[in-house]
Amino acid sequence: MKKLGVIAVAVLLVVLAVVLVVVMGNSGGDTPTPTEPAKDNFVFTYNGTAIMMDVEATDIVAALGEPKSYTEETSCAFEGLDKTYFYGSFYLSTYPMGDKDFVYSVWFADDSVSTAEGIRIGSTKAQVESAYGAAAFNGSNAFVMTKGESTLTIILKDGEVSEIVYEITLD
Amino acid sequence: MKKSIRICSALVICLAVLYLLQALLVPKYMLTSQEGALIGEYYANAGGNDVVFVGDCEVYENFSPITLWEEYGITSYIRGSAQQTIWQSYYIMEETFRYETPDVMVFNVLSMKYDTPASTGRGSQREAYNRMTLDTMRWSSSKWNAILASMTEEEKEKESMFTYLFPILRYHDRIGQLTKEDLQYWLHRDEISVNGYLMQTGVKPYTNPYVEKPLVDYSFGENSWYYLNKMVELCEKNGTQLVLIKAPSLSPVWWEQWDDQIVEFAAEHDLLYINMLNYQEEIGIDWQTDTYDAGLHLNVYGAEKASRWFGKILVEECGISDRRGEADVAAVWQEKINKYNAQKEQKKQ
Repeated sequence: MKKLGVIAVAVLLVVLAVVLVVVMGNSGGDTPTPTEPAKDNFVFTYNGTAIMMDVEATDIVAALGEPKSYTEETSCAFEGLDKTYFYGSFYLSTYPMGDKDFVYSVWFADDSVSTAEGIRIGSTKAQVESAYGAAAFNGSNAFVMTKGESTLTIILKDGEVSEIVYEITLD
Repeated sequence: MKKSIRICSALVICLAVLYLLQALLVPKYMLTSQEGALIGEYYANAGGNDVVFVGDCEVYENFSPITLWEEYGITSYIRGSAQQTIWQSYYIMEETFRYETPDVMVFNVLSMKYDTPASTGRGSQREAYNRMTLDTMRWSSSKWNAILASMTEEEKEKESMFTYLFPILRYHDRIGQLTKEDLQYWLHRDEISVNGYLMQTGVKPYTNPYVEKPLVDYSFGENSWYYLNKMVELCEKNGTQLVLIKAPSLSPVWWEQWDDQIVEFAAEHDLLYINMLNYQEEIGIDWQTDTYDAGLHLNVYGAEKASRWFGKILVEECGISDRRGEADVAAVWQEKINKYNAQKEQKKQ
């Protein structure tokens, strides 16, 4: 009889512990779950194809056509590939999540493409300031703008734009 | 009295059940994401290592301790893990000194590129990488400090550190996703590395040059310098020579501006720094045959070449002595060689 009592108490404690674990886990745990692509991020448009940061890349890559070159990288420990496509005037990189690829970044390779505000490689600092405002200047060599969960960085060298990079913002 | 015995018995049963449940739910890193098992495998091999490598995948994929032994009689261990950050490397070094005092500590400097936990990648993947380094570390102040250093402020606010203390809090939702691996390795693990080296035998030739987006500022961050300086102090305090390397991997890109900063730091602190990317020809790396992932990491054939080349430096510039004449040490290493060769044969198939 006493043994039964001990067992009953033990079972009760185990049940309580498991409930506690589940409740605490749900409230305090930092379970990594895939995030929904952000919907209000920067967009770079090329030949009518809108490339929004952090959206699924399949349709975008298909619309852009054959890249001039392509590289892919495995991560150290995860399934999927980080991919980089080169389209002559810009690079597009994607990251994998689940069985899909998402837009990670776009950066310009020449002055044949521009941002929605008309800034391209070779634009002057004054033109960038006029387009994005002086407040976006980092005080040394770049204008950094954020929108949703994305960043647009315009890097200057000798008073002119030398690099333009769209990318998702790391949290 | 009897009542207290009953309560104690119940508590013991309760704790045992929780332990078993936790052991079932945590990832095993045996058949998938094997990199997560590497840090925990050190403890069975701790002690007697003249050289310890610390760092990310560029150490556990690119160097073979067996080659260092066979060619030079150097005893070594690789304490590497996937995307190991510099703050994790520091605390792993600190922990290593609890077990042994190697003559040389080798640190791969690629992780200088990450200055803060938030900069290391997207949330869920970053957390998964942290787990792969931290979960199998033994409990000590080094582990706790490594956990705290690895968390973003937001994660600290959510008190996520307690999920490292009680992993069941983190992995409880795996209850519906358990696999055969979880049952097979519920209460034991196999040793998947050979002294921290995770062997790859595949061949995937390098084709196109890797490009990366330009940076606004190529200066390494304050936090990275803080931990590199702490490494220097730690090694000095223990009388161990710190050697900095950039392993021969073609991606991620190792910018020239980054290299310049490490060259300067090494000169200022009288450290040996070797950027092995500058010696690819001398090492003999053939990117058509010596990589399993198109240049990101070396396969076993490349790792053996890199180790043969680097071992010479360890002997000539660090004065590491040949221990092949020590019968007891040689016997232990012969077992490791046997395991290595068996793995090589098995993975070739």
